[in-house]
Amino acid sequence: MIAAVFAGLALLLAAAFASWVLRRRPSADAVFLTLALLGCATLGIAALSVLVAGETSAFVMRAATPGGRWVFAVDRLSAVFLLAIAMIGASAAAFGTPYIAPQRSHRPMWFAHSALAMLIAALALVVTAQSIIPFLCAWEIMAIGSYLLIVTEDEEPTVRRAGLIYIVATHAGTLALFAMFASWSVYATDWSFGALAAAAPSLPNQGAMVLGLALIGFGLKAGLVPFHFWLPPAHAAAPAHVSALLSGVVIKIGIYGMFRVVSLLGGPPPLWWGWTVLLLGAVSGVLGVLWALTQHDIKRLLAYHSVENIGIILMGLGVGSLGMRYGDVALTLIGYTGALLHTVNHALFKSLLFLGAGIVNHATGTRNLERLGGLARRLPFTWLAFFVGATAIVGLPPLNGFVSEWLVYQGLFRAAHSGELLRLAVLGVPALALIGALALACFAKVAGVVFLGSPRSASARDAHEADRSLLVPMAALAGMCVLLGVVPTLGVDPAMAAAASVAPAVAAAMPDPLAVARNATWVGAMAIALLVLLAMAFALRRRMLRQREVRAAETWSCGFAGASPRMQYTSSSFAAPLVSTFGRVSGVVEHRAAGTYHSHALDLVLDRLALPAWEHVHRAALRLRPIQQGRLYVYLLYVMVALLVLLAYLALA
Amino acid sequence: MTASLSATVQSLLSALGALGVLFVFAPLVPGVARKTRAILTGRRGPPVWQLYADLWKLARKGAVYSVTTTWIFRLTPLVTLAATLLASAVIPLDGKRALLSFSGDAVAFAGFLALARYFMVLGAMDTGSSFEGMGASRDVTFASLVEPGLFVAFVALSVASGGLSLSNMLGADLWLRWSVVAPTIVLLAGSVFLLMLAECARVPVDDPTTHLELTMIHEVMVLDSSGPDLALLLYSQALKLSLFAAILIDLVLPRSSLPAWGAMALLGAGLTAVGVAVGIVESTMARLRLPKVPLFIASGAALGLFGLILLMR
Repeated sequence: MIAAVFAGLALLLAAAFASWVLRRRPSADAVFLTLALLGCATLGIAALSVLVAGETSAFVMRAATPGGRWVFAVDRLSAVFLLAIAMIGASAAAFGTPYIAPQRSHRPMWFAHSALAMLIAALALVVTAQSIIPFLCAWEIMAIGSYLLIVTEDEEPTVRRAGLIYIVATHAGTLALFAMFASWSVYATDWSFGALAAAAPSLPNQGAMVLGLALIGFGLKAGLVPFHFWLPPAHAAAPAHVSALLSGVVIKIGIYGMFRVVSLLGGPPPLWWGWTVLLLGAVSGVLGVLWALTQHDIKRLLAYHSVENIGIILMGLGVGSLGMRYGDVALTLIGYTGALLHTVNHALFKSLLFLGAGIVNHATGTRNLERLGGLARRLPFTWLAFFVGATAIVGLPPLNGFVSEWLVYQGLFRAAHSGELLRLAVLGVPALALIGALALACFAKVAGVVFLGSPRSASARDAHEADRSLLVPMAALAGMCVLLGVVPTLGVDPAMAAAASVAPAVAAAMPDPLAVARNATWVGAMAIALLVLLAMAFALRRRMLRQREVRAAETWSCGFAGASPRMQYTSSSFAAPLVSTFGRVSGVVEHRAAGTYHSHALDLVLDRLALPAWEHVHRAALRLRPIQQGRLYVYLLYVMVALLVLLAYLALA
Repeated sequence: MTASLSATVQSLLSALGALGVLFVFAPLVPGVARKTRAILTGRRGPPVWQLYADLWKLARKGAVYSVTTTWIFRLTPLVTLAATLLASAVIPLDGKRALLSFSGDAVAFAGFLALARYFMVLGAMDTGSSFEGMGASRDVTFASLVEPGLFVAFVALSVASGGLSLSNMLGADLWLRWSVVAPTIVLLAGSVFLLMLAECARVPVDDPTTHLELTMIHEVMVLDSSGPDLALLLYSQALKLSLFAAILIDLVLPRSSLPAWGAMALLGAGLTAVGVAVGIVESTMARLRLPKVPLFIASGAALGLFGLILLMR
């Protein structure tokens, strides 16, 4: 099936190239979109066939490539991520093409299109590359492609700043990956992943160095706390369809990397790693959703929710790794399955939400929650799709988010029954419950303030529904969220097979690997029962209201007749009790003066830690300035001194 | 084969019967609480079946919908009812086995209750009323603290009983190990009772009889609901209270060895007892100030946590 992947890559490259060649023709958009969708469809078919049939054929490049053999292959683990890339890539391309078309007059379209196609291609290449050099090359193309797309609207200073923070963070991560692969390949015969796996047993300290660097390098990409600080500004700055791709798929590549490293190491990861991942997951989850709650900008809010969901995924990965170490077979499989399924689920609903936020932004000209309201009447289809996404991300039945969170919960519950220290992992259960309840609060806030009630500004009052071409990709994503929730086995079965491929030795020892999948049918049965009960309740109410008077009236304001939209609860007031419950951890800064109130939320890591630390580095660097004299003889002197020192070192050694 | 089949049918019938008892008698629990409160404060109070009369009255009325509202508002009572009904299908009401039982069904229980709350909150926001927004905001705040507490109790029960489904956690398996885990069960009963008061909007977190919109939480969220919609919401609320009461009964009243009719009779007696207990609390203490409520809920969760720690020694 690797041939199909290459065909998909070729189609995406053709799309990128065509949009440049045809840049002055009116047909450019249509050609680009056709080729990009075909490319994504081909990638999707390749991924699906591997997930169904489990076929893993490798392609080995035998030319004199740097770093030894270049191997490309799709295994079940790659296929899970490849499928997400194909689905979200197709939605982003389909949504983005008409979405940015109005900007044709002042921005070169071909550049945005080509960068998008290149980014999707690079993502597909990252998850199929099975050697260090092509992996890192694709990784860099992905990082730089993301950067170019983030700074699309580079006339805004905030966008340029977000881009700068992003590119610094992503390269710090790449550096960690260089170090990881370098320290690993020393023990390997060549630089293919197969050789790395063979070298795993000879790594010192059970691969502690490799796992630690993987956590930093891939963690920076995934955006777990405290490495998340680049994520909210970058994802808020990018155009909607790019944010969808970034939050939906690009950060998941960090998760892919962690799974790949665990799978290459073969044996159970050391205890400290599993505990660290579980703890970081819980911290990212709680802080991510808490910080999301404090945001006023809808896209920043969604970006913080990505941090939260990465946390949930990491909790699954962490508890699975611990299970492997402690020899609890079922726990490993359930934890990994939950993590992988939540990865795909989050890709679906987070992209959907970002696309919806894009339509809101486009229709009203603002992303500020306090200036929106009442959009449910004005954007009915956008609202329906956004509502599905919001309900799914909160993890409520009968949608897909519930299924994967249910799996992670089960993993944590099972940990409680262990006789060993593993049972401490059960403290993840209340953490996950807190995350879920806070996410409910946050999305009730977003849905309620943006779409329900009355419009809080003229621009919200005059909003109009988006074009059908923008709604179709959203409808497709919303449909997937419903499908994977009502028929959970569709997602659980392939995710479980992929989880088993990460830990084959463990999976082989599992007496009845399908027990969990059978349980998932109960979840599906309850989802269907909910729909049936809803229909029955609907019929009951209709019967009760037959021949009764049904009237419309103003909202009851406790006898006050002059209620105005300004009196509605705002986003800040809705979140206020929770923010004050959590105190300073929420990062909210309030400015009170006579008759006015204003609040904004700091990112505790970026504004309190990273930027002040950078100030110190900057000041220290200023001290080095006298070295730079700008005179040639001084530099010649430096060269001389360096040579002498080297000679002296050689002579002594 | 036939023996196991008839056993399955019997347990199914028993679960269905208990569900029927719960559905029929649920509106009695708030009634008993109100009556107890009236008697203890020296009043006569409305009869215990007052809620049935209210529901009957509302069911025969027309409805008024605010012009601000959308389909969310109309869907809210339906989803609230359907989700609460489904949540009750996984609790072993006869003390043995629930209608539906599978590994991880505690998550489904919490999930369906959360779905009901999500729609309640959205329905409140849909009216654009500042009062209802305020109630919604307070509701999600307190629920964010109740939910972790509830899950701590579930985890402790899972460890105590060795089971992964609510039927095991609250059914026979728990009672087989009663002598070992008794201290935990006592703590958990206290924890679930406090969480029930918070989750079901009773004193000292919320006051169902208050007449000032500014101080309401649950009542204010349904200000704009009327007629059959209000009836469905009130019934769902009573059902939720009874569900938590049923969990308490499963915790403290062993019924796994009783015949079906005995288990159901004990269920009815237990529901009455919980109603009386809620009434006693309501007549002996006032509402807490809002900033104190998180502390109250946290102490409920802490009781459960102590219970869990006792098990993990």
